[in-house]
Amino acid sequence: MKRSKLDRKEHIAAFLFILIPLIGFALFTVGSMFFSFMYSFTKLNPIKHYDPFFSIIGDIWVGFDKYKDLFTHELHSERFFRAIGNTLVLLLSVPLGMLAGLLVAALLNNRKIVGSKIMRMLFYLPAVSSAVAMNLLWRFVFNHEYGLINMLLHNTGLKWLDDYALIKTAIIFKNVWGGLGGTMIMYLAGMLNISRDYYEAADIDGANGLQKFFRITFPMLTPITFYLLIVGVIGGLQSYVDSDVFAQGNVGAQTIVYFIWKRGIGEWNYGLASAASVLLSVVIMAVTIVQFRFSNRWVFEE
Amino acid sequence: MENTTIQSNNRSETVKKVTHIATYTIIYILLIGGSLMMFFPYLWMVMTSLKTNPEAANTLQLTLFPKVFQWKNYVEVWQKVDILIGLKNTVLIEISVIPVGTFVTAMAAFSFAKLKLIGKNFFLLLLMSGMMVPYAALLLPQYRVFSSLNMIDTLWPLILPGFFGNISMMFFFVQYMRGIPSSLFEAAKIDGAGYFAQYVRIMLPLLGPALAAQIVFWFVGIWNDYFAPSVYLSVNEEMTLQVILGKLNSSIGTGNNLPLVMAGAVLSSLPLYIIYICFQRFFIESMAITGIKG
Repeated sequence: MKRSKLDRKEHIAAFLFILIPLIGFALFTVGSMFFSFMYSFTKLNPIKHYDPFFSIIGDIWVGFDKYKDLFTHELHSERFFRAIGNTLVLLLSVPLGMLAGLLVAALLNNRKIVGSKIMRMLFYLPAVSSAVAMNLLWRFVFNHEYGLINMLLHNTGLKWLDDYALIKTAIIFKNVWGGLGGTMIMYLAGMLNISRDYYEAADIDGANGLQKFFRITFPMLTPITFYLLIVGVIGGLQSYVDSDVFAQGNVGAQTIVYFIWKRGIGEWNYGLASAASVLLSVVIMAVTIVQFRFSNRWVFEE
Repeated sequence: MENTTIQSNNRSETVKKVTHIATYTIIYILLIGGSLMMFFPYLWMVMTSLKTNPEAANTLQLTLFPKVFQWKNYVEVWQKVDILIGLKNTVLIEISVIPVGTFVTAMAAFSFAKLKLIGKNFFLLLLMSGMMVPYAALLLPQYRVFSSLNMIDTLWPLILPGFFGNISMMFFFVQYMRGIPSSLFEAAKIDGAGYFAQYVRIMLPLLGPALAAQIVFWFVGIWNDYFAPSVYLSVNEEMTLQVILGKLNSSIGTGNNLPLVMAGAVLSSLPLYIIYICFQRFFIESMAITGIKG
């Protein structure tokens, strides 16, 4: 009797403790998601229409027209497909950054390396630097007249920031530079957790350093690789600063989120922007579910 | 016979030595080359910020160091751009969000890690599912709501959501708290401590370095946040440091003056670098204690 009363008290306290995040989730995530979803079926223009869901919903309802626009409307579909293409190409920086981070981690994962602490700090520095400051810096580095890159290449005059393909190359390079520190830290943390026994056994069998890396270290790190890939792809699908600050809106680097922002806040075409954001959410959720299904290690377990 | 074995042993020893030295040479070349590539852009940023504009935009010759160090660039950018206002706004968001948000987050994590609750796993998965919704999909409705509350061009849209906690931080705390023995809380319960007291008096102090690390991470995240602030803030008086910085290139008095833009970039990043150097341990180590197994 007394025990169950105590239990009930605990359940109530436990629920109250998680109530604030739950309310936040209901308001900011579920509520917003619901409205985004509804907007995507309307021609809502926030300047013209007030209170769309209680009085005028019938007047602005357009069904699947906005989704159709995304894929068939002459202007919108061209921009939308371009945004998808750009976003996908820019995702290349995720595996490249992981590869670079893994290489650096493998080299630094050695107690005998002098100055490994300082090097670690240097490689991780971009991760704590302001993305805006770094974008301004790299804009300058890639400037075609007086930028560092063209100076080093002896004034080739390549217009990195204007050309449709070159600007993507520049962004990928910049993002690999900026992202490898984060992956390096994760890989280093993973390497610390690999038992020494495996390496000692390999030593007895006479394995060399490369063999140990490819036969022990790399396979043991696959969960981290998988995690980094998923998180990187999810983050990359939402990239925005590159389009806005680095490319200053250049068409060669407009991403999906830039498209959503431009159509929504810039042109007040809420329906079209919401339709694109609903599709983006579906893709990101699919990627996340793949993560949960394929990698049991990352699923939260009791 | 014996002699040749010793000889070949000696030879294999020298071969081993040579490969050892060669390996380390390659490792050091790669690492030092990499470090230089990481560091050089920063050096260039600082050096450019100390040049005159014609010097920085010199198309003929690559020079790293300025002829005369133009410290006055910093004075000029300080006067022309409202860095102080940006700093004030950014700090205002930090000090309102972080104490409240962290307290709420750790409290929820305590509940998930240590208390009995029906449907606990469901709630946890529910909250975590929010992490996979892109912010861009939430932006428009939130913009409408904040605009109807007359909160555009105020800091509220950036502060209010933070009061409800930070889910990725919560996930981290749940993991961490599970490693703390439950017997501590059983003992406190017998002494008559309520659940809230258990959280504040026992759990919070035990979080120690994990708490500090997560706070530092969140601090850096808020400091560098750009998308939401740039959408909500368009009036100079309300802009955060990053939004002001984002506008530096095109506007606010700097024209196309490269050294000034770079000086602004250095100035606005400086507080973060100081924090990074002071709390370096937390940045690197907190990654290692996230419970990620290789």
